[in-house]
Amino acid sequence: MTGRPPADDRVNWPQTFLVPAPRLVYNKTTVSNPFRPPGEGFPPFYIVSPSRMPSTTDEDVPLFAEREDWADVQPLEQYEGANPIASIFYTAEYKDATNYFRAIVKSGEKSPRVLELTENIIRQNPAHYSAWQYRYETLLALLPEKFDETPPLLTSELRLMDELAVQFLKTYQVWHHRRLLVPLAKQPMRELAFIKRSLEVDAKNYHTWSYRQWLLASCYGLGAAADEANDDSVIDDAEEVWAGELDFVDAMLSQDVRNNSAWHHRFFVVYGCRGLPSSESERQRIFKRELIYTKQNISLAPSNPSAWNYLRGILKETGNSISVVKHFARLYAFPHGSNEKHDIVDLDNPPPSAEAELPSVQAMEFLADVWEAEAIAKLKTEPKAAKTETDKAVEMWTALANEHDKIRKKYWEHRIRDAHHLLQASA
Amino acid sequence: MTPKPTPIDGFPTSTSRTQAETEAVLLEHIPDPSSPHAKPTLQKNAHMQFLVRNLVQGFPTRYTSQDASQPWLLFWTLQAFSVLQVALDPGNKQKCIEKIMSWQHPDGGFGGGPGQAAHLLPTYASVCALAIVGRPGPNGGWDQINRKKMYDFFLSLKQKDGSFLVAHHSEVDVRGIYCLLIVASLLDILTPELVEGTAAFIASCQTYEGGFASASHPIFTLNGSIPPPPAPRPPLGEAHGGYTFCALASWVMLQPFVALSPEPKPTIDLKNLLRWLVHMQGIEIELGGFKGRTNKLVDGCYSWWCGGAFALLEALGLGGLQNAESDEVPIDSGTGAGVWDDVDDGPFNREALQEYILNAGQHPAGGLRDKPPKNADAYHTLYCLSGLSSAQHHIFPSKVRKQQLVDVWEASEEPNDNIRKDVFSELLSWTEEEGASHIVGGHENRLNATHPLSNLTITHTEGLAEYFYKQKVPVRVRTGKPEAKAA
Repeated sequence: MTGRPPADDRVNWPQTFLVPAPRLVYNKTTVSNPFRPPGEGFPPFYIVSPSRMPSTTDEDVPLFAEREDWADVQPLEQYEGANPIASIFYTAEYKDATNYFRAIVKSGEKSPRVLELTENIIRQNPAHYSAWQYRYETLLALLPEKFDETPPLLTSELRLMDELAVQFLKTYQVWHHRRLLVPLAKQPMRELAFIKRSLEVDAKNYHTWSYRQWLLASCYGLGAAADEANDDSVIDDAEEVWAGELDFVDAMLSQDVRNNSAWHHRFFVVYGCRGLPSSESERQRIFKRELIYTKQNISLAPSNPSAWNYLRGILKETGNSISVVKHFARLYAFPHGSNEKHDIVDLDNPPPSAEAELPSVQAMEFLADVWEAEAIAKLKTEPKAAKTETDKAVEMWTALANEHDKIRKKYWEHRIRDAHHLLQASA
Repeated sequence: MTPKPTPIDGFPTSTSRTQAETEAVLLEHIPDPSSPHAKPTLQKNAHMQFLVRNLVQGFPTRYTSQDASQPWLLFWTLQAFSVLQVALDPGNKQKCIEKIMSWQHPDGGFGGGPGQAAHLLPTYASVCALAIVGRPGPNGGWDQINRKKMYDFFLSLKQKDGSFLVAHHSEVDVRGIYCLLIVASLLDILTPELVEGTAAFIASCQTYEGGFASASHPIFTLNGSIPPPPAPRPPLGEAHGGYTFCALASWVMLQPFVALSPEPKPTIDLKNLLRWLVHMQGIEIELGGFKGRTNKLVDGCYSWWCGGAFALLEALGLGGLQNAESDEVPIDSGTGAGVWDDVDDGPFNREALQEYILNAGQHPAGGLRDKPPKNADAYHTLYCLSGLSSAQHHIFPSKVRKQQLVDVWEASEEPNDNIRKDVFSELLSWTEEEGASHIVGGHENRLNATHPLSNLTITHTEGLAEYFYKQKVPVRVRTGKPEAKAA
C-alpha cells in the first residue's frame, strides 16, 4: 500500500503520485490505429480542464445554441418529422449537446472544441459510445504523430479519465477509452495503481478487473516480453509486476475471501496469462503453494464456492487428479465430530473451525466427484471396486438432492444417471 | 419452515453481508402456502400497461443513459409484447419501422440512434425489432436493410484472433459476436470467411469455473501470428452469465463451421459448463433465481441468460430430450415421487425459477425487475419474461424438423450453398415439445415460447429467415400429444 494518496484526493491526483512508468513493452500487433488520420490538425496546446466544464445542473451555463463560438454550426435534430414512439424525455441540455454533436459528426470537424462537446455529452450520458469514438478520433487528430514527452493534451485526458472512471464505474466506454490511451501514454504502472484504487470503491467491478487483466496481458504477457527478448531489464520489470500482482490478490482476498473476481484474477496471474512454467520443479513449487493457499482459505470459510472452484481449476490446469485433495475434502464433507480428531496438527490439511457450518455442500460435491473419478479409473481393471466407489458417490449425490442442496435435485439425479450409464457401458 | 440461509461459517465478509441482506428481503416474498394467494399469478395486464406506457408515452428522463441503446429499448418492448402474445396494430408497426430505419448507418449496420456510429449490439436489436414489426416491400423495413454494406461493416470489425470489435475503436467481447452471428444467420450473410477463427476465440473465453468471460487476449508471435494451443489466450474477466449465454449461443451457431475447420478443432468443456450453470441457480431462500457470477446476488435477468442457456446445451447433446431418449437407467436415488418426476425436464429447477420471477421479479406497479425492492425497467421486463417462458416450455433442436427443412431446400447458384443450407436448417430446427410445458400458477400464466438462440418467437425467426434465404418453410405438423399440464 505504498504511495497511496489520501482518500479525499480521488479526483485530481497530485503529480507526485503519478508513478514513473518503466519502459513500456507494447506489442505493436495487438492494437493499431487503422483510423488514425494523416498528421494534420492542431498543435496540442489546448487543454480541456474539467473545472471549466458546464455542469448539467447549473442553470447559468449557456446552451451550445446560445454560444457565439458555436454560432457557425447548424444543430441537427435527432428525428425529422416528429413521429414519436418509444421516445426518451431528454433534458434541454442533453438535446442541445447531441444536436450539435450530430452536426459535428456530419461535417467531420475534429477540433479542440469537439473535445469540449463530447465531454459535455459523456458527462450527461457516459454510455454514448459514438461520442467516445469521435472524441478518440479527435484526440488522434490533435496529438502529434510522434512524441517523447507526454503532451499536455494527453495528460489532461488521462486526468479526466481518472475522474470519469470513478464516477461512471459501470460503463463499458469509460474503461475502453482508458485502454485506447495506454498505447499513447505508455504508463501501465500508473494504470495499475489507478485500478487498485478504483477496486477499493467497487471490489467486484467486471470492467475494472478485465481492464487490469488486459493491461497485464498486453504489457507484461508472454508476447510482450518476446517482443524484446534480448532486453533482460524488460523481463525483470515484468517479473516484478507479476510478483506484485500476487500480493495484490492476496490483499483483496484478505478483505473478502468470497470475492470471486479476485480468485479469478489469481488464476489469471498464476496460470491463465503465462501458462505452466517450463521447469518441473518450478511447476511443483507453484502448485504446492497454490494448493496450501487455497486450503487455508477454505478452512476460514468452508462454504465458499469461489475457493472450491479455484481448487478444481488448479487441479485440472496442472493435470493433477482431484483425488489429491480427497483427505482434505473429507474433513469438510461431514458434520462436526464425524472425522477422527488428531492431536497433531496436519499443516497440509488445515481443519475447519468450530464455527464452520458442516457439512459444506461444496465439499460434499467435491468428495462425490473424487469417488466418481476413482470409479472411472478402476472401471477396466477392478469393476467391483468401481461399483463400490460409484455407490459412495451416488449416496453423496442423493444426500445433496434430498437434503443439503435440494434446488439442484435434477442435476444431482443427472449425475447419478450418468454414473450408472458409465458403469453399465463398461460391464 | 423457513429455508436455511447461506452459511457464513462464523466468518462474515462484505459478500456474506450483502447476501444476508438480500436473503432477508427475498424471504418476505416467499408466499405463505395457507394464503389464498399462494398460487402465483403473472400480472399480464399490469406488465402490458407498463410496456404500452413506454411505447406510447415514452421513457422517463433517467432513460437518457439508454440514448445510445434506442434499438434495445424498442426491441425489449416489442419482444416483451410478443412473449405476452400481443401484436401491435399496423399504424404503430409502421412508426416503429420508420424509427428503426433512421438508425441504419450509411456505411452499414445500425447505430444506437440517428447519426450514431454503427455498432453490433444495436444492429442485433434493430434487425430483431424489424423481425417483429417489419415486412417485405416498400417501407416495410426488410428490403431497406443494406445487407451488402452490413457484411462489409462486420468484416471491418474482424480481428486476427477470430474476434470482432463491437464498433470501430471499441472493445472486443462475446456479446458483439453473438449479435453478429444472429444477424448474419437471419439475413443470410454468414460466410466461412467471416467467422474463420471465431469458434477458437469463443472457446478461449471459457474460464476454469466453466462459464465464459467477456473476451480473451491473444498472445502474438514475433511475426504477428497467433500460435496454436496450448499457447495461452487468457480470458479477461471471470465467468459471467450474460457472456456465457452469448458465448454458448455463438458456439452453437458456429457448429456448421467447426465441422468444416481443419484439425485441431477448438473444443469447450461441456461438463464444466453445465456444472457452473446449475450452480448459478440460487438456493431456496433465494427463491431459485439465477445469479450471474459465483458469490454474487440473484437477478431476474439471469433467468434468461443462465436459465435460457440450458436449451442451448441440448444442441450440443447434453441434458434434456436426448438424455431422456437414451437408454433409461432406473434412478435408485430414492429421491421420492415429485410432481414432475415422470418427465425429464432438464438438469435445472424450472419450477423454482418460475417461482422466483412470479414472486420476486414482478413489480406491483407493472413491469419486471432485478429483485425487490428495485424498480422495473424495460431490460428486466423482457429478460424476466423470456426466462419465464424458457422455464415453461421445452424447446429442443429437432432432428426430424431439420431433415424436413433440408428436404425442401431449394438449391441456388450462390457460393457456400451447402453451408447456407446447414445454417438455415439448424437455426429453424428448434421445436417445442408438445405436452411438455410446465406452467407454474396455471394456464393463465402461459407465455409464448421464444427461440433459444435469437430470443424472438419461433414464428418471427422463421419469417425473417424464410424471406432472406428465399426458402419455403414447411408447415409444422402438430402431433396431437396432450396439452400442457399445469402444476
